[in-house]
Amino acid sequence: MNNIEVSYDNNFINDLQEKLDHDGPFSSWELFKMAYDAELTTFTKDFHGLRALEFLPEMNFLPHQVQTAKQAIEEMNGRAILADEVGLGKTIEAGLILKEYMIRGLAKKILILVPASLVNQWVKELNEKFYIPAATFKKHYPWDSYDIIVTSIDTAKRSPHREAILDINYDFVLIDEAHKLKNHKTKNYAFVRALKKKYCLLLTATPVQNQLIEIFNLVSILKPGHLGNYESFLEKYGKDRKKINQDTYLKQLVQKVMVRNTRKDTSLNTTKRNIETVWVDFTDEEYEVYNELDKTFQPFSSFSKITFLRELCSSREACYLSLQKFVNNEEHHGREILQPIIERIGQLPHHAKAQKVVELIKEIGDEKVIIFTEYRASQLYLQWILQQHGITSVPFRGGFKRGKKDWMKQLFKDRAQVLIATEAGGEGINLQFCNYMINYDLPWNPMRLEQRIGRIHRYGQEKDVHIYNFAIRNTLEEHIMKLLYEKIALFEKVIGHLDDILAELKIDSFEEEIQSIMKESSSTGEIKIKLDNLTSIIQNTHQNTMTEESQYGN
Amino acid sequence: MAIELHSFLKDYFTAHHCEIISNQDGVLQIQLNEKMDRALMNRPFYWHYIKNMGREGDPMQLTLITNQEIQDLKGERIHFGSPRLQQILNHLKENERFTRLFQVVQANQNTALHPWLVVNLKISYIGKHKKDEIFSIGLNLINGVMKTEMMDALHGIEFGMKISDFCYTITPIIKPQSGYKRILSVIDQYISDLDHDWAKESLETLENEMELLKHFYEDEWDEEIDQMEKELQDLKERYHPKIQVNIVNGGIFYLNGNFIN
Repeated sequence: MNNIEVSYDNNFINDLQEKLDHDGPFSSWELFKMAYDAELTTFTKDFHGLRALEFLPEMNFLPHQVQTAKQAIEEMNGRAILADEVGLGKTIEAGLILKEYMIRGLAKKILILVPASLVNQWVKELNEKFYIPAATFKKHYPWDSYDIIVTSIDTAKRSPHREAILDINYDFVLIDEAHKLKNHKTKNYAFVRALKKKYCLLLTATPVQNQLIEIFNLVSILKPGHLGNYESFLEKYGKDRKKINQDTYLKQLVQKVMVRNTRKDTSLNTTKRNIETVWVDFTDEEYEVYNELDKTFQPFSSFSKITFLRELCSSREACYLSLQKFVNNEEHHGREILQPIIERIGQLPHHAKAQKVVELIKEIGDEKVIIFTEYRASQLYLQWILQQHGITSVPFRGGFKRGKKDWMKQLFKDRAQVLIATEAGGEGINLQFCNYMINYDLPWNPMRLEQRIGRIHRYGQEKDVHIYNFAIRNTLEEHIMKLLYEKIALFEKVIGHLDDILAELKIDSFEEEIQSIMKESSSTGEIKIKLDNLTSIIQNTHQNTMTEESQYGN
Repeated sequence: MAIELHSFLKDYFTAHHCEIISNQDGVLQIQLNEKMDRALMNRPFYWHYIKNMGREGDPMQLTLITNQEIQDLKGERIHFGSPRLQQILNHLKENERFTRLFQVVQANQNTALHPWLVVNLKISYIGKHKKDEIFSIGLNLINGVMKTEMMDALHGIEFGMKISDFCYTITPIIKPQSGYKRILSVIDQYISDLDHDWAKESLETLENEMELLKHFYEDEWDEEIDQMEKELQDLKERYHPKIQVNIVNGGIFYLNGNFIN
């Protein structure tokens, strides 16, 4: 009892006395009583439980989300790493936790740090789903005038913002994509450590990417000393990320500050992914041009050749434009060889894949469809050809300003049947209202395909999703499809582990790895063998990590 | 929930002298007046502009839908937790803090009304977690009689802002300030008689985490002393047990002598 600080409201009676002396103003009985009832309605009777659920009757939380929020508040006392797999609703869990602290009056000053591209989306979700009045940072507004602010760490850590923010006592700090803080020597890390904060959530789908010390660094933001100090940790666990499974004690410690739900153990399994490969044949004319381009060795490196071939598999326009650009460059030779090919490309009929797209969309019927392509020229072409067939579409690109992105998304939702997006545009838009996706060309990095699918197959999707992967037979696309996608069976199993596997294999970029295989091989046969090797290694490592993974997390 | 939402809203707007245009099947249509438009509609520039023009202004209408089954109607769906209801509840809590009321008495001879100090208060216990308790206490400022659950006891009595005919008030013997002190000392006694396991738990957690923290900085004591101090402070903010006693609202009630017994 002696250790408890007790404080009383000492002003009330003086204020009342002043009103009595001045004969008012006073509340009527009705309003006085209603204010008391309002308090009875909103006060918090118990230490435990989530009151936020009563306040958000229109939200349908999944069981694992509610469980995670409870665990973060009641067992972890408001400092936790939320490490669910992609698409299970970390944002929802975080919103629920924040809401609970706000309702209980424990969080007023709130700082939310997210990647710049996600700022508006966070603001929107917090406002619309949780009725949390979050705002974005605007110039000329002092930081301490915001109660709930969403901004990027890059903005926040820059002077003079940095100093202003470090001066504020935050009740609640949230950091999205927290794996970017895995290195304790970075400025971002030091900045987050220096923030004055009571409760703190770190969100990441990949808490350990390469080394075990990364989890140490994340935990040390939340609970310094929980895993010992830097030297002792390094001495004991070294740099080996596998030890987290071998050492049950360490695993238990980590579980005290981290919640990780996987797709496997949540009810999200209820909506399925149907993935179908759609094989397309070029017309004879198209094959002729393709093969001719493939046989052309001279004027350019094999890598640019691969690019041109990929483009030709996408659209005449994409290939035509970049060949033209290549030829127009004074430094390049080989105009004589390429010019006839360029002319032949110009005369090709409609692209076989594009015609297949039209056919498929007509089969699908009135449903919304999202098409992903790697090339902007193909995007324009697809838009045109769809329009010729009376199918409405809107474009979507990474280069669009945020407002235009939101507008396009809205147009797609309300007016158009199809959204045609280029790769970079895919990041950070959520399109749960759509459950058909056409991958018009496949990215070389399967992780990127997973990110695409994650746009529609995520928390909030109520129907089964249908994914159509397009590939043209007897071209580069066939190798990519057969070797990378079908053989590894990425969709079913590996995704989610791929990051770990690549780290294990010390492969920094999967895409570069494949490009160098393509570049350094002199024949299609060689490409095949090399890709084959790569996929076997991945499969192997995957089996090993799977057995580990089953012991890791919750 | 302590309130029935639909009638609560109707009473709220009626008490603020707004016209109820229609009220059926869980849909409430209200014509706001200027005061309530300013309080709820968040358009200060409009009012600033209109007043500068020397005009009256048009307060808005509000359609509130409490019946969650209705889907196709234009209006604001309002439910527990919705921003509009929170706004209204906060508006009440902020503005209806003080009162002075007289019991309405149909008298044909002189009747004395006794002054009572009524205080509604909230005790918040804040440690690792938080909970609240609400008390309503009345104190007779003539004889010092104290009564708990005062708001319940007042339920059903009619009150007015002005004293009824033939009634007169007795001047308090106990001043409101000293009455208030008496009430707080009773609360103080109540708090110290409680078992505070929650606070013990919270203190234990605080000490454990402070130990961990010191261990963390063992080897770099000097360089990072500021950082450690900051983190110790963060820990205290998060775990050090506190009790706050806040006043919800209160005032002086003049009650008929036969109120108690």
